[in-house]
Amino acid sequence: MDGLNLHIKKSEFFGFLGPNGAGKTTTIRMITGILTPDHGTIRIDGHPLEDKQKIASVIGVIPESRGFYEWMTAVEYLGFFADLYGIAGKEKEERINLLLAEVDLIKRKNSRIGTYSRGMRQRLGLARALINNPQILFLDEPTLGLDPQGQEDIQLLLKKLNAKGVTVFLSSHLLNEVSNLCSRIGIINNGTLVAEGTIHELQEKTKLKDKTLTDIFLHLTHKSS
Amino acid sequence: MFTHIWKKEIQGELYTWKSMLWLVIASLLFSFTSYLLLTNKELSLLDQTELLWLLGKIIVGVALLILTIDASSIINVEFERETAESLFLSPVSLRDFILGKLLASITLWAAVFLVSIPYIIVTSAGSHLAWAFIGYIALLGMLGVVGFVFLIFGISLLYRSSKNTITTSLIILLAFATPALFTSALKNDVVSQVFSKINPIDNIFNSLDNVLVDYKISVIENWQFLLPLVIFCAITFLFLFLSAKRFTQQGIIRND
Repeated sequence: MDGLNLHIKKSEFFGFLGPNGAGKTTTIRMITGILTPDHGTIRIDGHPLEDKQKIASVIGVIPESRGFYEWMTAVEYLGFFADLYGIAGKEKEERINLLLAEVDLIKRKNSRIGTYSRGMRQRLGLARALINNPQILFLDEPTLGLDPQGQEDIQLLLKKLNAKGVTVFLSSHLLNEVSNLCSRIGIINNGTLVAEGTIHELQEKTKLKDKTLTDIFLHLTHKSS
Repeated sequence: MFTHIWKKEIQGELYTWKSMLWLVIASLLFSFTSYLLLTNKELSLLDQTELLWLLGKIIVGVALLILTIDASSIINVEFERETAESLFLSPVSLRDFILGKLLASITLWAAVFLVSIPYIIVTSAGSHLAWAFIGYIALLGMLGVVGFVFLIFGISLLYRSSKNTITTSLIILLAFATPALFTSALKNDVVSQVFSKINPIDNIFNSLDNVLVDYKISVIENWQFLLPLVIFCAITFLFLFLSAKRFTQQGIIRND
């Protein structure tokens, strides 16, 4: 990463775009404390990254690595993470059932994750990211590998969460997804932020009026390569 | 927090056919050894205390081997199966993570120890040493296991690979265990004696010898063996601490 300067506003739906290897996952890993940056500062909801407990309690993440404890059922899996967040008793049970219903896994809640399809795992990952009722969501390709219906379901859920005031940071390869969902977009290439703003602002900056996000993205990433 | 990690390990890693198979194999080994010790004509000529000492060495040896294999993968499996990132995004700290895994390893040791108790009782029948034997196996085994698990966890955090960790750990275990196979002449060599003083496995075996063969049962009479074991645990803990510090500096996920 090189001199990346990002400011995401509260309740914003921010799209983060970039070609493969541009640094999207690295950025998310740095922001969420999984990777340590060489220098610079990162603050989430006013808290420095060193305040891990506080940060963990306000964020939910779908990371790039999508491993699951295959031998657990969905209920056990979410229960384990609820325990880690200190959610217990009736609240834990209610939260798990609500989330499983939201991601349409309630009928398979007692099946082992090892028997789940890729799409089901994606949805379970989203349920896990929401277990602590986060104020900020970081999503690294949340609809990767989902069929169109699955993609739409997740997008609807994300819209609903954002409407409730949850800030969403979405990294995606699907430009349609980003242009439909995001109020502001950042485009990164070779570890540098090459443009940032609403679609309208990006059109003005690139002098590509009436062009799609795909055109803007290709223009910016080719130009800066 | 670490208790949740511990419970997960018990449920997912220890309470599985793999661990159960290990316990069955350990039980078969203890049965086989006890049977030979009690029925073989040549072995039955040995003093009972010598027989107990032999059984004690086998119990500790089997436990250390099982623990070495298990502890070598218990940390890295989270990275290799890509579950670590989600785990560390929750409020779990590296300290909780290591503590939970350490407790899981100690639980496995406790299971092996429990399996060995009936064999200790049967083999000690007629002697007054059964309780001292059980007590010292518990104490020495625990010190040995904790020391080795600290060492193996430290190696795990450095390598971040189960395969490399298990190879290195088995070589280290073998290096410590080899002097037990030395003949008396080799054991009397100065270098061998110096190594024996610091070697945790030698200290465990020598303490068992002290208790079972020489009837020196009190802890004070065994301090010369217990102290090096405690020092071994302290050194391996320091190694784990430094290794964890390096791991944290590099980041939970290495940016290759």
